[in-house]
Amino acid sequence: MKTLRDQYCVVGVGETEYSRASGRTTRAMAVEAIRRAILDAGLTARDVDGMLDYQGGDSTLANHVAPDLGIRLNFYMDVMGGGSSTEALIGLAMGAIEAGMCNTVAIYRSMNGYSEFRIGGTGARAAQPVRGLDLAQVPFGMRSAGQNFALTFMRHMYEYGTTSAQVARVKVAHSRHASQNPKALLKERVTVEDVVGSRWIVKPLHLLDCCLETDNATCLIVTSAERARDLKRRPVYIMGVAGRVSKPRLDFHWAHGPITRVAGYYAKDIVFGQAGIGPEDVDVTGSYDAFTFTTLLQLEEYGFCKKGEGGQYVSSGIIELGGGRPNNTSGGHLCEGYTHGMSMVIENVRQLRGTVDDYCPRAAEGVHTYDYSPGRCRQVKDAEITMNLGWAVPPTGSALILRR
Amino acid sequence: MPQPVQYRGMTLIVPDNDSEWTEFYAHARAHRLVVRKCTACGLMRYPPTHACPWCMELEWTWQELSARGTIYSYEIVHHAIQPGFRELTPYPVVLVELDEQRGQPTPDEALRIIGNLVKPDLTPEAEANVAIGRRVRVIFQDLADHMALPQFTLADEPAPARVWRLPE
Ligand SMILES: [Zn+2]
Repeated sequence: MKTLRDQYCVVGVGETEYSRASGRTTRAMAVEAIRRAILDAGLTARDVDGMLDYQGGDSTLANHVAPDLGIRLNFYMDVMGGGSSTEALIGLAMGAIEAGMCNTVAIYRSMNGYSEFRIGGTGARAAQPVRGLDLAQVPFGMRSAGQNFALTFMRHMYEYGTTSAQVARVKVAHSRHASQNPKALLKERVTVEDVVGSRWIVKPLHLLDCCLETDNATCLIVTSAERARDLKRRPVYIMGVAGRVSKPRLDFHWAHGPITRVAGYYAKDIVFGQAGIGPEDVDVTGSYDAFTFTTLLQLEEYGFCKKGEGGQYVSSGIIELGGGRPNNTSGGHLCEGYTHGMSMVIENVRQLRGTVDDYCPRAAEGVHTYDYSPGRCRQVKDAEITMNLGWAVPPTGSALILRR
Repeated sequence: MPQPVQYRGMTLIVPDNDSEWTEFYAHARAHRLVVRKCTACGLMRYPPTHACPWCMELEWTWQELSARGTIYSYEIVHHAIQPGFRELTPYPVVLVELDEQRGQPTPDEALRIIGNLVKPDLTPEAEANVAIGRRVRVIFQDLADHMALPQFTLADEPAPARVWRLPE
């Protein structure tokens, strides 16, 4: 398989505030996030000539956002998609540049995921008519993401003996990380007892097993390594990318078991093959934590532990700051805010730069204390390689490996 | 086009040109569970789709099933997002592996179908009775002259393998 290893970089990252009442349009938020990312990269509007965004009928398209910032585009696409689109669009941006269509691409996601179109599926989403393939599940009171995934999680508990207390350690870890993140929506540290004692949403998911619905916009800027070398920031190199890799029968994956298998099973050889590394070489992971379980399933499938041993892995301490391979050091979707995957890539870029925006007074200069107690540091010392595990649904996912 | 069906606050739409579902529901209304069977390779598939996912053949016939199976996985919805389901909570959703075509064409594959686990009066089955491994049979819930939903109810048969439910 052809690889573009180390030939493209993420050079800029930016986001708006994470909130539950932005009081603004998705257009206004997108503009702010893109502007921040352009400035973060040390670029100007003139330097950006490509744009990609993803949404589900809940956002503002590139043809409205780019002109607001005075960006003239040589290439743009608005993509229908949710989780796992982030990594896929990074790959498409590389392809667009490689094809000679443009030079530098801004990728954004903007959503009022709490105040306008609730990601949890309530309100306008729940009232949509049911037709086509949806007839196979929605009439049975199975419409939200949690309701869609719970059958997979329950079967994992049956097959492998995974317990609620083990899975809760994902939320515990991410809450600890969020306590070091000034941007995080939920900064309070929680315990296993808090998670398993919270009310049931859809068994086996408790309230605290589920991520936060959030208003926000996020942006990443991708360009060639050649251009990146002239910019003010330390370049972060793309070693490998896999986009929206799917299981067979992705329309109704329950027909093609084992249903506890997720798309990473197929994505891992693509992304590790391009990068020329294995899971043991990864210092930091960023997994799509729509739910505690989605982190566990992906860590297993990408080979960070054996299939079925995810419960032991996530409860061993390894995924916490100070552990061997911290996961979602920003707090992720469970605690920082829900961004459809963008924020976990942004965080890994900052980790590789050594300038994570924690509470260390000189964080922006890369000076950190590595004191992981609440309200302090969340920089991983000498992080060299990070990996993002992007999730859409059990049968579809993406992956991205970055290095400094 | 037949009138859209209102069920628990949802509008269920099966347009005339939706050949995947129109006849499926007509059979269901006659209390027959049918799936599409490939005329070339003989494999059956659910949900109804236009081509055979194993051999790409477009020709198919409806095949009636015994409508019996085993609970493969389940979930209990405590927080309903659809307003019409709130009065039913907590309600079980089950993934049932049907008896026909288990482990074919590969050991991981099977005809699996989603429904609610209900009592014979179509109200939700008590949570204590919902478990992976328990035997079930289809029971039809009539919604309109042209539509019925296949649901599941517990069958009085011994479980073929380990029975498991989420610990309290
Ligand atoms: Zn066939």
